[in-house]
Amino acid sequence: MLRDRLLSPYQHGSSAVHRLPAGTKLLAAVACAVLIVLLPRSAWWAHAAVAGGLVAVAAVSRADLRGMLLRLLLLEPFVLGIALLALLRPGGVPLFLSMLTKSTLCLATMVLLTATTRFSDLLAVLWRIRVPALLVTTLALMHRYLFVLVEEMERMQRARRSRTFVAGRSSAWRNSAQVAGQLFVRTSERAERVYLAMCARGWKA
Amino acid sequence: MESVSLLEVRDLHYRYPDGHAALRGLTFTLAPGERVALIGPNGAGKSTLLLHLNGLLPDRPALNPAVTVDGLPLVEANLPEVRRRVGLLFQDPDDQLFCPTVWEDVAFGPQQLGMREPQLSRVVSDALAQVGLGGFGERLPHHLSRGEKRRVCLAGLLACDARLLVLDEPTSDLDPRGRRELMMLLTHLPVAQLIATHDLEFVVETCPRAIVLDAGRIVADGPSRALLDDEPLMLAHGLERPHILRHRHPH
Amino acid sequence: MHVPDGFLDARTLVATAAAASVGFGLALRAVRRHLPPRRVPLIGLTAAFVFAAQMLNFPVAAGTSGHLIGAALATVLLGPAAAVVAMTAVLLLQSLMFADGGITALGANVLNLAVIAPLVAHGVYRVVRSAAGVGPQGTLLAAGVAAWCSTLAAALACAAQLAASGVVAWGTVLAAMGGVHMVIGLGEAVITMLIVAVVMRARPELVMPAEPARATARGRTLAYGAALAIGSMVLVAPFASPWPDGLEHVAERFGFASRALAGQPAPLADYTVAPLLDASPWLATVLAGGIGALVAFAVAWFVARALAAPGRAGARH
Repeated sequence: MLRDRLLSPYQHGSSAVHRLPAGTKLLAAVACAVLIVLLPRSAWWAHAAVAGGLVAVAAVSRADLRGMLLRLLLLEPFVLGIALLALLRPGGVPLFLSMLTKSTLCLATMVLLTATTRFSDLLAVLWRIRVPALLVTTLALMHRYLFVLVEEMERMQRARRSRTFVAGRSSAWRNSAQVAGQLFVRTSERAERVYLAMCARGWKA
Repeated sequence: MESVSLLEVRDLHYRYPDGHAALRGLTFTLAPGERVALIGPNGAGKSTLLLHLNGLLPDRPALNPAVTVDGLPLVEANLPEVRRRVGLLFQDPDDQLFCPTVWEDVAFGPQQLGMREPQLSRVVSDALAQVGLGGFGERLPHHLSRGEKRRVCLAGLLACDARLLVLDEPTSDLDPRGRRELMMLLTHLPVAQLIATHDLEFVVETCPRAIVLDAGRIVADGPSRALLDDEPLMLAHGLERPHILRHRHPH
Repeated sequence: MHVPDGFLDARTLVATAAAASVGFGLALRAVRRHLPPRRVPLIGLTAAFVFAAQMLNFPVAAGTSGHLIGAALATVLLGPAAAVVAMTAVLLLQSLMFADGGITALGANVLNLAVIAPLVAHGVYRVVRSAAGVGPQGTLLAAGVAAWCSTLAAALACAAQLAASGVVAWGTVLAAMGGVHMVIGLGEAVITMLIVAVVMRARPELVMPAEPARATARGRTLAYGAALAIGSMVLVAPFASPWPDGLEHVAERFGFASRALAGQPAPLADYTVAPLLDASPWLATVLAGGIGALVAFAVAWFVARALAAPGRAGARH
C-alpha cells in the first residue's frame, strides 16, 4: 500500500550499505547534506560528483527507489513558490537552479539513508550520542503509535463517511474535525494506559 | 502446613474519584502455580481488581494495604519488587507494546531492573522462545498479528521472572488459531495465573478454579466446572453455562 | 512551510539552529520541572496525533485541500513547553524519515514551527482567554486567534530567514508569505477551533490543563520573553547585517534614506495608502497585518459563538 510505503520508508536488504552501522550512515548522510549546502553555486562539477556518488550508493544498496524518485519530483507548492520568487532577483536563474539542485540532492541523501536504515537503529544512535532522553522517548513513542493512530483515524473516517449523506465542504470539514477531536481523546486515553503499562514494568520517569 | 500464599487479598475496597464504589470488600488467596479464572459481567470490577494487584491502583499505596504479594505488603517501598513478581498483561497489547522493536520491548522490564549484557540478551531470547516467538527480535510491533503482539507482551513479563501473571481478557480478540495457541502456552507455563475473561469455554478447559465477581463483590469461589455448571448462578450474574458443559457426550 | 535544504545560507542556518536549540532547551527544562510523569507518554502520543491529523483533508476549492499545521492545537492541548517538544519531534521525524523539510534546515524549521509558533500561540491564547473569559466561548476564541497569530508568526520568521539568505527580496517575501499565511491562518484557526470544540465537549479537562500557580507566572514571562526576543531578532536582523547592501536596501524600503538625501519634499505630505505602499512597503505590510488580524479575530469570534452555543443539534455528535 502506498500509504505504508510512505509511512515506513525502510526497505529490508542485506547490501553492504544496509550492513553499515546506523551511526556511520547517519553521520555520512548529515555530512553529505552539509557539504551539498556549502558547495559554491558555481561549482556544478562538484554537485555532479555528489550526484554520481549518491547514484553509486543507491546501486550498491539495491533499494527500490522508484517510489522515492517520484517523491523527488513532487515539489510542495511552498517550495516551488519560493523558488519562483527567487527567479525575480538579479542573478535569479543560477540561484533558482542551485536551490533546486541542492534541495534535490539533499533529499536524495536522506531518502537513501532511510531506505537502508531502520528507524529504531537511528533512535539507538541518538540515544548513544546523548540526545535528551525525553526527546528520544517522545520520538520512539511517536513512531510506534503513528501507525496505530493512522489506522484508527482511517477507521473513524470510514465510519463517518458511511453516515454522511450530504456531500459538501462544510460536512467534510466537520467530519475531519470530529475525527481529529475524537482521535485526540482516544489518544490521550491510550497515553494514560501506556503510562500504566510502563509503570507496571518498572519504569520510573 | 505452613504455605506462603503467593497472593493474599484481604477486604479490598476501592472507590473511583467520582465516588462510584468499584470494589466492596474482596477477600481471596492464590497459591503458587495455581491457575484461576476471574469471571463476571462487564462493570463487575475485574479490570479494577487487576490494576490493584500490581500496585497501579490505588494512586497512592495505602498504609495498611489489602494486598500482599509473596509475603510483601503492597506499600510504596515494595512497589518495584511487587511489579516484578506480578506481571500484568493489559487487554490491548498495543498499549503495552510501546517500544520500537520486539526485542527492545521484551528487554524493557529487565533493563528497568538493572540487567545488562550479556545476561540481557539471553533472558530476552529465552523469554521469546518460551512464548514461541524465537527470532522475532527485530520485528516491528505494527507488523505483528494481535496474537503475536500478546505473546510478545507475555514474553516481556516472563523476562522479569514474574511469579504471578495477571491477564486481562487475553483471548478477547483472537482468531481461533491465536486462541488455541495462547491456551496451549498458558497451560504449559508453570507460573501462577489469574485470568479475567469472558471466554467461559476457555475457563473450563484451562482453569481448575474460578472466582465470580459481580458489582464489586465475590459471589462465588470454587472449582470452575462446578460453578460454571450451576446455571442459576451463572444467569444471576450476567453469565451463562458454557456450551462445553451443556452438551455432554458419553465418551 | 517546511524549508528544504539549499534555500538558506550558512549564516542563517547556524543562527536559526542556535536559536532553536536555546528554545528547545528551555522547553525541555520546563517540561522536566513541571510536567507530572503521568503526562510524559502523552507528549509522544500527541506528536503522533499531530502527524496523523496533518493528513486530514480540509477541502478548499477545486480539488485543493488545506491541512492542519498543529502547533497552536498542540499548545492548547499540552501547554507550551510540552508542545515545543512534541512539535520538535514531529519536525525531526518529518525531516529524517519523510524528507519533508531539509536536514540542514532543521534548525530553521524547528525555530519557526516548534518554538515560535507554540510560544506565540501560548501568549496570544492566555491574553485573549483572560480577556474573553475561560468558558467554552472564550477558550475557543482564544484558540482560534492563537492559531492565526502563530501561523503568521511562523510564516514571517520563515520569510525573514529566506530574505536574510538573499533568496528573495525582503519586501517581496514578507508581503507574499505574510499575505498568503494570513489566509492560511484563517483556515488553521477554524480547524483548530473545530477540533478543540470536539475535545472540549468530550473531555473538557484535556484542554489547556492548569499549571501550578508559580510556574504560570514564570512560564508566562518565559513565553513572552522568548517571543519578544525572537521577534526582535527577526526584525533587527536586516539592520545587523554586516553587508552594507542589506542596510541600504532596507533604508530604501523604508522610503526615507535616499529621498531625504536627495532633498525631495516627502510624498508623505499626501497621506494615502497607495503612495504609502510605494514609499514604504514595510509600513503597508504592517497595516495590512493589522487589518488581517482584525478579520481573523472577527471570524474566530463568530465561529466560537457558533461552536460554543449550547444544545446545537448539528454539533451534538
